[in-house]
Amino acid sequence: MDPFQEYVRNESRRQFLSRGSNAVGWAAMAALLGREGLAPRAGAAGLEASPTGSRPPGPKLHFAPKAKQVIYLHMVGGPPQMDMYDYKPQMNAYFDKDLPDSIRMGQRLTTMTSGQKRFPIAPSKYKFARHGKNGMWVCELLPYTARMVDDMCFIRSMHTEAINHEPAITYMQTGNQVTGRPCLGAWLSYGLGSLNDNLPTFVVLVAKPTNTEQLQAISARLWSSGYLSGEHAGVSFRSGGDPILYINNPPGVPAGIRRETLNGLKALNELNYKIVGDPETHTRIEQYELAFRMQASVPELTAVTSEPEATYKLYGEAARKPGTFAHSALLARRMIERGVRFVQIYHNNWDTHANVAGRMPDQCRDIDQPCWGLIQDLKARGLLEETLVIWGGEFGRTIYSQGGLSQSNYGRDHHPRCFTMWMAGGGTRPGQIYGETDDFSYNIVKDPVHIHDFHATVLQLLGFDHRRFTYRYLGLDQRLTGVEPARVVKELIA
Amino acid sequence: MQNTQIQSGPILWVVTGLLAIAPAMATARAADAPKLEYNRDIRPILAENCFACHGPDSAARKADLRIDRREDAIDLGAIVPGNPASSELIARISAKEATELMPPPKTGKSLTEAEKQTLRRWIAEGAAYQPHWSLIPPKRPALPAVKDAGWARNPIDRFVLAALEARGLRPAPEADRRTLARRLCLDLTGLPPSPELVEKFVNDPSPRAYEDLVGRLLESPRWGEHRARYWLDAARYADTNGYHFDNYREAWAYRDWVIAAFNRNLPYDRFTVEQLAGDLLPNHTLDQEIASGFNRCNATTNEGGVIPEEYKVLYARDRTETVSTVWMGLTAGCAVCHSHKYDPLSQREFYELSAFFNNTTQPTMDGNVKDTPPTIFVPTPADRPRWEKVSVEARETRARLDARKSAARVEFDRWLASAKPEDLSALAPSAGLRLATDAIGPDARPIAHFESADVGDFEKDHAFSYGAWIKLPGKGITGAVIARMTNAGGYRGWDLWLEGNRLATHILNKWPENAIKVVTRAEVAPGAWTHVLATYDGSGKASGVRLYIDGRPQPTDTHVDALRETIRTNVPFRVGRRENGEGAPGSEVVGVRIYDRALSAAEVAGLSGADRLLALARTPAPSRTPDDLNAAFSWWLDSVDPVGKDLRIRLAAIEVEQSEVRARGTFAHVMHEADSPAMAYLLDRGEYDKRRDSLKPATPAALPPMSPDLPRDRLGLATWLVRPEHPLMARVTVNRFWQEVFGAGLVRTTGDFGITGELPSHPELLDWLAVEFRESGWDVKALFRLMVESSTYRQSAAATPEKIQADPFNRLLSRGPRFRMDAEMIRDATLAVGGLLTGELGGPSVKPYQPVGVWEAVAMPESNTHDYRQDHGDRLYRRSLYTFWKRSAPPASLDILNAPTRETCTVRRERTDTPLQALVTLNDPQFVEAARALAQTVLKTPADVSDARLDAIAVRVLSRPFKPEERSIVRASLARLETHYRDHPDEAKELIAVGESKPDPSIEPRTLAAWTMLANELMNLDEFLNK
Repeated sequence: MDPFQEYVRNESRRQFLSRGSNAVGWAAMAALLGREGLAPRAGAAGLEASPTGSRPPGPKLHFAPKAKQVIYLHMVGGPPQMDMYDYKPQMNAYFDKDLPDSIRMGQRLTTMTSGQKRFPIAPSKYKFARHGKNGMWVCELLPYTARMVDDMCFIRSMHTEAINHEPAITYMQTGNQVTGRPCLGAWLSYGLGSLNDNLPTFVVLVAKPTNTEQLQAISARLWSSGYLSGEHAGVSFRSGGDPILYINNPPGVPAGIRRETLNGLKALNELNYKIVGDPETHTRIEQYELAFRMQASVPELTAVTSEPEATYKLYGEAARKPGTFAHSALLARRMIERGVRFVQIYHNNWDTHANVAGRMPDQCRDIDQPCWGLIQDLKARGLLEETLVIWGGEFGRTIYSQGGLSQSNYGRDHHPRCFTMWMAGGGTRPGQIYGETDDFSYNIVKDPVHIHDFHATVLQLLGFDHRRFTYRYLGLDQRLTGVEPARVVKELIA
Repeated sequence: MQNTQIQSGPILWVVTGLLAIAPAMATARAADAPKLEYNRDIRPILAENCFACHGPDSAARKADLRIDRREDAIDLGAIVPGNPASSELIARISAKEATELMPPPKTGKSLTEAEKQTLRRWIAEGAAYQPHWSLIPPKRPALPAVKDAGWARNPIDRFVLAALEARGLRPAPEADRRTLARRLCLDLTGLPPSPELVEKFVNDPSPRAYEDLVGRLLESPRWGEHRARYWLDAARYADTNGYHFDNYREAWAYRDWVIAAFNRNLPYDRFTVEQLAGDLLPNHTLDQEIASGFNRCNATTNEGGVIPEEYKVLYARDRTETVSTVWMGLTAGCAVCHSHKYDPLSQREFYELSAFFNNTTQPTMDGNVKDTPPTIFVPTPADRPRWEKVSVEARETRARLDARKSAARVEFDRWLASAKPEDLSALAPSAGLRLATDAIGPDARPIAHFESADVGDFEKDHAFSYGAWIKLPGKGITGAVIARMTNAGGYRGWDLWLEGNRLATHILNKWPENAIKVVTRAEVAPGAWTHVLATYDGSGKASGVRLYIDGRPQPTDTHVDALRETIRTNVPFRVGRRENGEGAPGSEVVGVRIYDRALSAAEVAGLSGADRLLALARTPAPSRTPDDLNAAFSWWLDSVDPVGKDLRIRLAAIEVEQSEVRARGTFAHVMHEADSPAMAYLLDRGEYDKRRDSLKPATPAALPPMSPDLPRDRLGLATWLVRPEHPLMARVTVNRFWQEVFGAGLVRTTGDFGITGELPSHPELLDWLAVEFRESGWDVKALFRLMVESSTYRQSAAATPEKIQADPFNRLLSRGPRFRMDAEMIRDATLAVGGLLTGELGGPSVKPYQPVGVWEAVAMPESNTHDYRQDHGDRLYRRSLYTFWKRSAPPASLDILNAPTRETCTVRRERTDTPLQALVTLNDPQFVEAARALAQTVLKTPADVSDARLDAIAVRVLSRPFKPEERSIVRASLARLETHYRDHPDEAKELIAVGESKPDPSIEPRTLAAWTMLANELMNLDEFLNK
């Protein structure tokens, strides 16, 4: 082999080893090293992927992964767990009675209700019924979800320390309340690399809710790569305009003309490379080629009109409309099929400080059938087994009412001590109902799962020991799960 | 053995990564130099393998042993100086048993044989320790001897060449003049050179041609813009508050201060002191106070429900981390939660440092406003002298008015006794009166219901005035006083409105994109009859609206100024409501008047005064309240009394001037110290509610002591930082400037000079530069001159395969700097080459093209930066440092090219290479438009000389003509593009219509389209995107 080419090979590998900030993109890396299709796989002898194989020899897989791709459905604002999954029939007897001090135990409150004179209990106004073999209680607003509880793995004992949105969402996404750390998707992009040639590794979709009474801020800091290299940041697909920023050629420039200019560009860059000899020039050429391929593959990906009618039976009619949660869920499936590693969907307006009755029907309708449809669809296509689907918010809500309370309506403040999440597929234990809260859905009485525990479990499903899945920054081996001890919740794993 | 590895290149690189250079130097020396040096040879090994458990962090310490301090290590027998065999450290690192071995195998760390040998030798040599290299104050080192002394133009070159020669490398030849002209312009001004500048330089016969060009560029105002751009990353400057709503923050006065500071070459020690403590300097100037805005650039919140103390702690932490990073290269962040594992900055010291920044009068909740206090008003530079004079005049005139007021009461009482009602009503203007209902008086009945389709049907180009007497039940009242307004289609019409007791008016076609909204700063006091009135001059502009309270013109804020279309509506005029209500609850309204012209200020004063006096006159003397009498007196003084009237007119003129100056000016966010002495709590694990000891401000013990005469405030801290014995400040600064020019710092970890940071590639050069910089009087321009005039800088960037192997990242500077430009430089270069860039300096931030939905997708609906309203005209083509920076959605194209979010301090940007970046420079309308503009320029070149147009495009994009091989590729590209657009005229028209500037109609669209795509191709060349 040409010694210079060999240098380039070593050079690129070295950059990944050092994980320096002037890192070559993974795509270019793969192009330089050759590719073996889907990655990573457990090696024949051990459990580690081959170092010269199709993924960057950065972090190593510690276990055979159960899941290879992730769809994370984040409900922004914090859904009220007791109005959806954490059934508390005892509360009916407590209507408008004060929350006992023995339950609150001096819990710190947001300044939105810390001035309230009373903390009157608001029992859920919704009917619940048991479903499935596991007998999971589900509220009447989620009829589709109720049909698949035996495929789902519920955690009713999630907890966090954050009580306001910014720090709480940041915590949920990055394992730290202070902004600036990489999010889960970025960690997995870093750890697992890409599965495809033409699309980003980590995609973000921000769905528009039907009701928009109390939206919360969602910003790129939630899908940032933090101290990891920038290529691990989420790429936001937009529901209006170009799905990826600047993906479309200018008007009057057909693909053939773009190809012409890229050919000229490439030839000129090659000439310059001969003179200057900067390896980065080759990286750039490759990035332009990848951009050109993305220009073809992204429209194909987002062209949901090619889906058969049956698809809309599954996801609901809303899936025809760009920007809805249903449409996003359908896009997520199409992305998983095409090898996108991590799809993050945000659905807003769960911050029900007031008017639970006026908002919950819309909130639940937005997500109920699409979640069901997504999981049935993944299952039917044989993708659910290796695709981990996660649903949840950044904290729970209080059993006591914020503001006025009546039999028909109430509000709920933020509540960090317990909330419900669910997972499906990707090696999770189907039908599991894990954790319990007290009669007030206020404190956890059994099997608490902290955010760090949850992250540790997710990493485990994807093949990483959270203690050893690290990135050196500021002289420390940084981890998604931070410095506090965290546990993998084995009961959630099949 | 080690040496063989070094020569084999890639293998060693794979093993040791970017730290390779310094250890390589160390081991190279080990062979010939007898004595090992702790910092260079030993500490890296210990820090990597031992300090995590045997270092400064007491919480993580094992076996009570620390080996980062010599006496501790000796006390516990880990080290016996001169006797490796008796040293436990050596025994443990050589242990055979896994349970004995250090570092423990389960940590995944292990020492190489060479490292073990080095430790043995060091102990044998006496185990001398040193403080960490960066904590030893720099001394000016002697210049090293070099073989090729003729190559060195200045001391920088001696250090660089010595290191190259030590590895048997030669510097690259000097780059040609065209390349140098481009490199210099980009480094000193951030913009590519004009073809004329290049030609002039190429043909300049003067032996000082190069130095002259450097001098000219350093004097360009573009210099300050370019340097400021880097600094603003460090200062985390942005145009929004950051968290939650992420509302607009009007803070650009600070940005402009930074630009001006670089342009006037403010010595860096002053630059430091003014930014950290300009507000505390005795007799400080306005500029110095603006400079203190450095510490106001942090992200703030107003999220409902947050606990203020939590955020107060976060703000102080951010300021501490930022100042530590920028001036000391210390990564203080870790010490928030625990004592720093490797660096000698304890948790206690972190909070002592944070106490300096914990004493501000700033409210924790930013109020979602653009001017969270403390702020100061900043007039435009042109207004500054006048502003100071006017302020004095206003003070004096008010004093004289007060004096007249106390003297004239008797005269007023006499006048009132003799006044006749008909004289009084004559004071109210009658011309153009269209509606007048009964005004205030003893028998006034608030209007319960009034509507009329005939009243107030004005068009937007029609002048009119509208007002009433109102009495408000309390504070916080919001709603309509009078209105002719429909709710349909997003509101249309006009109203007089209350917004939290502030008087406001809407004149609109559609809210908010086609509307005017003006709001007073003052509130209407509740419980008393107050006259409110608006005049509108039909100009369609907010500046044509005046609001009056009790006959006095009011200072106002313009919330919206975008009226373009009709305001007429069929909905009738109503009192106390709009079409669907929205009245001001509990408010009483009488004396409604509408005029079909804009009343003058004197007329409005007359109107409100006349109404008041008439009411008073109709009230029997005993029933007249002191409040009513005082109000009437006040009016009499302003409008009837010749002395008072004269003074009032003069004051009004002054106030108008003041408000005009205010409207043109801006304000600066500044720091103000609270009265209480500065302090901070040590917070357990960094949690705001886990307070431990109360701490006074202090500097870390590992650094030179802070003189007892220095005040324990920000000024004292700043003064301490710029003391000559400070080991970090000068080094960190020259290193960051070096990075701007050479792409990487001499210490590559620009923000981390601590133990976990990388070692300098050229330690002596770094020290020499630091001392030189300090002794030059902290002269920034001189430092850059030194760097860019060196032979090191002037080398060609071309790399041979041998050099790539020996010096893959150019850490040894074996060739000239070449790296992808930062986002702003790429956009600015594109605009400049296209001839679109405008040269205006400073001012409010601008909003150039951005795809629809970038803000909207992430912003909260309540945010005033939810909708991106793109600017037009010249504001599309300003330098990128003026682009509006919303922290939660930074400018999209810049963001993709690695611009930081500005949420926290950034001293080293990432430089990735991604397909999304290619899409920006290929497809962003800004880039396409610039390509078309460039095409237009070159198409004006006569085509009579062969390839004249190709030459014209080459010199603009690359600052050089095409080489023959390039020329044939470009010709072929152009031919294919021409063929395509000749056959597709519609596509040609579409393409050249991109952007808001109009395509040159004298150029055939198909030709222009083909050349536009050719320019687009060339403006994506690697060479164009690289410095």
